[in-house]
Amino acid sequence: MRRALVLLVSLLSITIFPALAADPPAQPRVTGLWLITEYPSTVAKPGETTTVKLKLQNAGLAPEALALSVANVPQGWKVDILGGGQVVGAAMPAINESVTLNLRLELPANTAPGTYPVTVNAKGATNNAELKLAITVGGDVAAKLSMKTRLPALRGTPKSSFEYTFTVSNDSGKDLVVRFAADGPRGFQPTFTEAFGSNEINQIPIEAGQTKDIKVRVGLPRDVAAGDYTVKVRATAENVTAETPVTLQIVGTPTLRVSGRDGRLSGAAEAGTASPVIMIVSNEGSAVAEDIELTGTMPSGWTVEFEPKLIDKLPPGEKKEVTAQIKPTAKALAGDYIATLRAAAKAGDSASADFRVAVTTSTLWGIVGIGVIAVALLVLVGAVARFGRR
Amino acid sequence: MSDDLVIEAKGLTRRYGRGPTLAVDHIDLAIKKGEIFGLLGPNGAGKTTTILMVLGLTESTEGTVSVLGHDPLREPLQVKRRVGYLPDSVGFYDNLSARENLIFTARLAGIDKAEAGKRIEESMARVRLTDVLDNRVATYSRGMRQRLGLAEILMKRAEIAILDEPTSGLDPHATFEFLEMIRGLKADGVAVLVSSHALEQVQSVCDRVALFNKGKIALQGTVEELGEQVLGLRHDLLVEADGQDIAARLGKIEGVSAVEPPGSGRGLLVRADRDVTAEVVAAATRDGGRLRQIRAIEPSLQAIYNRYFEGVKDAA
Amino acid sequence: MRREGSPFTGTGAVFAKEYADHLGSARMRVIEALVVIVGVVVVWVAMRDLKDKVTQDQFIFLRLFTYAPESNPVNFAGLLTFLIPLVAIGLGFDAINGEFNRRTMSRVLSQPIYRDALLIGKFLAGLATLATGLIALWLLVMGGGLIVLGVPPSGEEVARGLAFLVIATAYGGVWLAIAMLCSIIFRSAATSALTALGIWLFFSFLWPVIAPAIFDGILPLIAPQRVLAGSATADDVAGLLDVQQLIMRFSPTVVFQEAWLGVFSPDQFTEQQIMRIRLDPRLGHRVIPGSPLSFGQSLLMVWPQFTFMVAGAIVIFTLGYVSFQRQEVRA
Repeated sequence: MRRALVLLVSLLSITIFPALAADPPAQPRVTGLWLITEYPSTVAKPGETTTVKLKLQNAGLAPEALALSVANVPQGWKVDILGGGQVVGAAMPAINESVTLNLRLELPANTAPGTYPVTVNAKGATNNAELKLAITVGGDVAAKLSMKTRLPALRGTPKSSFEYTFTVSNDSGKDLVVRFAADGPRGFQPTFTEAFGSNEINQIPIEAGQTKDIKVRVGLPRDVAAGDYTVKVRATAENVTAETPVTLQIVGTPTLRVSGRDGRLSGAAEAGTASPVIMIVSNEGSAVAEDIELTGTMPSGWTVEFEPKLIDKLPPGEKKEVTAQIKPTAKALAGDYIATLRAAAKAGDSASADFRVAVTTSTLWGIVGIGVIAVALLVLVGAVARFGRR
Repeated sequence: MSDDLVIEAKGLTRRYGRGPTLAVDHIDLAIKKGEIFGLLGPNGAGKTTTILMVLGLTESTEGTVSVLGHDPLREPLQVKRRVGYLPDSVGFYDNLSARENLIFTARLAGIDKAEAGKRIEESMARVRLTDVLDNRVATYSRGMRQRLGLAEILMKRAEIAILDEPTSGLDPHATFEFLEMIRGLKADGVAVLVSSHALEQVQSVCDRVALFNKGKIALQGTVEELGEQVLGLRHDLLVEADGQDIAARLGKIEGVSAVEPPGSGRGLLVRADRDVTAEVVAAATRDGGRLRQIRAIEPSLQAIYNRYFEGVKDAA
Repeated sequence: MRREGSPFTGTGAVFAKEYADHLGSARMRVIEALVVIVGVVVVWVAMRDLKDKVTQDQFIFLRLFTYAPESNPVNFAGLLTFLIPLVAIGLGFDAINGEFNRRTMSRVLSQPIYRDALLIGKFLAGLATLATGLIALWLLVMGGGLIVLGVPPSGEEVARGLAFLVIATAYGGVWLAIAMLCSIIFRSAATSALTALGIWLFFSFLWPVIAPAIFDGILPLIAPQRVLAGSATADDVAGLLDVQQLIMRFSPTVVFQEAWLGVFSPDQFTEQQIMRIRLDPRLGHRVIPGSPLSFGQSLLMVWPQFTFMVAGAIVIFTLGYVSFQRQEVRA
């Protein structure tokens, strides 16, 4: 099997490679020497350094040393030609080859706006090449950012997570460090992460012309009311800013809470006798809770009845007192028991709380006991009356 | 009731159980202030029951008693406050000293502490027990206990002292001493009610006696009265004389019914219906006879008792 | 017939004398020495074992009274269950017949008091003597506990300890009343002591054996038909257990044991309760483990036992009282 494969590959090599060798790329037959750049007109800022990429192209000429010089350099500019990272004075491209050069322009801070013509020359014994560049100083096109999101409006409850993904583009010709921020209503907390990362960030470098996906998550305050909110997400780099508004459409929900009066989650009940335990149902959510049903999980043999049995409506921020009549079984032993009282809205939230119910022995026996002693004492008093004083 | 009666009982009766016999059968008693009254009779004759009824410690079945103007049944505390009682063979708390015993009694009697201390010293001196005041009662002899009981009565300043068989079990000397102390009580103006089965012993101290038999008072009065009543008016003499045929000579005296040897001792007992002292002296000294002793014989309670009940038996 | 004055005139004098006598008597010294020696040994053994548990136990001081190491299965409270009757009998068996035998009765009663005062004074003095002894013993245990355990008792522990003192005194009162009843009925001190001890033996050792037998005997009469048919519900069994316990409770010893268990073990079920829960697990369902009963609840739980003892003591005392009042003073 393996031998067969090797044989096949060698057969293919025999048929294909001679064909490739025999067919050179079709190129225009032009001879000469050129100094070229992709962007002959470029922008520079005063006080900054701008690099212009140059290429010295030799087409069909014999190689020779070409002295490089820059003419028409405005007063105060510092100009260097770099090749392979070093300042160079001459270049020698081979036949049909090119040499990559960089023209570094260091502009003084006080350079006046305007367009300055700069000429780069390459002079050899036989051939010359010249390139005219126009360097524009000033203008606002130095850095450029844009951002966009596919889902600028999300809908959810106050408990939902609002996450927006943005694509941030560095449209300028240079690398930028982009900072993020968001403006929203008070209490809204934005956090930025990479789209597929979990590290929280507040700035990120983007190379020139590149894009990055950024995720912003908006945290909501607990008591946020239902409604539409706008959060402006901003990306800033140097002095440019890109801004996109996102919309949070918050749908209200009820959030129920069950507690005891004064925070006390305890009550006492006598065995076999119903005793009231006050529970407070509060709606800490953002919407009206409707048809709140009250239930309890009791030790077996116990019963619980609520007054009222049902809460029709509980607006947000309001509370209602409910009396739970808890009746332990008549045989319950004295001690502490757990009774869970629950409130559940028809649609949505429910809440429960564990109440500690101390079962107490009936004081009836205490009274009976006193009665027994009283009877015994009466017998004694009767005996004293009948037989006393002898 | 007259003013000088301290105890007056009328028709006092006590029945135990449902039987027909009465422990005390309709007795009447009247004891005057400052007299010594003897309740005499054999054991079981009803003396102690009578005493308990007087003190209010036993309820009477019938009849009334008045002690110092109080009914012992209705006002027993009043009665007991003013009456001292020395029970038959009295007991004390042996583990306590005589003083502690008396302090306890004083507290029960409601005597205040300082006063009690003073009275205890006084009364113990009177019964001559000062030396052993702080000894434990366990070390006391029978006689000392009786005297301690008497001291308790003295301490209470009782107006009536009721002594139940106070001399039983005492040696003759202790008996004599004790009887002297009873006379001392009388001297203080205390009415004394003494019960005894030893008739002869208490005969000497009692002003008046009541003879008990089977729950009834058979006889009541001074010993002389009883003697006259039972034995008739007697003028018996004990004569001790030397001489020939003394007995025969004496027997010839008119009024002499019998001449016989006495129960004990020497001499002759001359029984006579009238006072024959002069004739006896004359007869005894006649013919060179020498009269050594002549003495009138008081009627003996024992004799009275014996004679009376013989008579009752004979009549029955 | 209405007699003058208070029947209690002189009670104080009798009380003071009897109390002093009890505390000073050789008999009491012997009894107390016995109780203290045995008590100290039992508590010492308990303390040695409990020392290591100080931090883990909320009621470490109460354990001094109830802890029984395996080597010595008697705890202090259990010991008192048996010793208190002995002390009470020792105090009371010759209370009345002793007065007759010493021939002091009629002399004392001839003082301006009623005999009510004598009986009541003697009973109260006996009770006070018992209480004095118990308090002394209690302080001994608590003091020893302080030294060995090195932590002070909590307020609740002290309150529970005091409640135990009161209950133990009531228990002693029952036995004192029994002993005094015997001393009234029997003129011979030996007969009286033997009878009282016999009653004590009967209720302490025989009754726990006899009571189940009685229960078995009456079971066919009281049990519902389905129980006899062999298909008892948990409720049936629990009800019958209650009846059996009720029969057991005729013994003051059993009642006292229930009472001190209730006072000293707020965080534990009683044996009766454990049995009930075993029969009917619903009863113990969702009980928060290790949550002790409050002091008030514990008191309420043992209240019937306490009242039973107090009422019992009063009734037995009344029996003795009536019988004494009807007696003749003459010996």
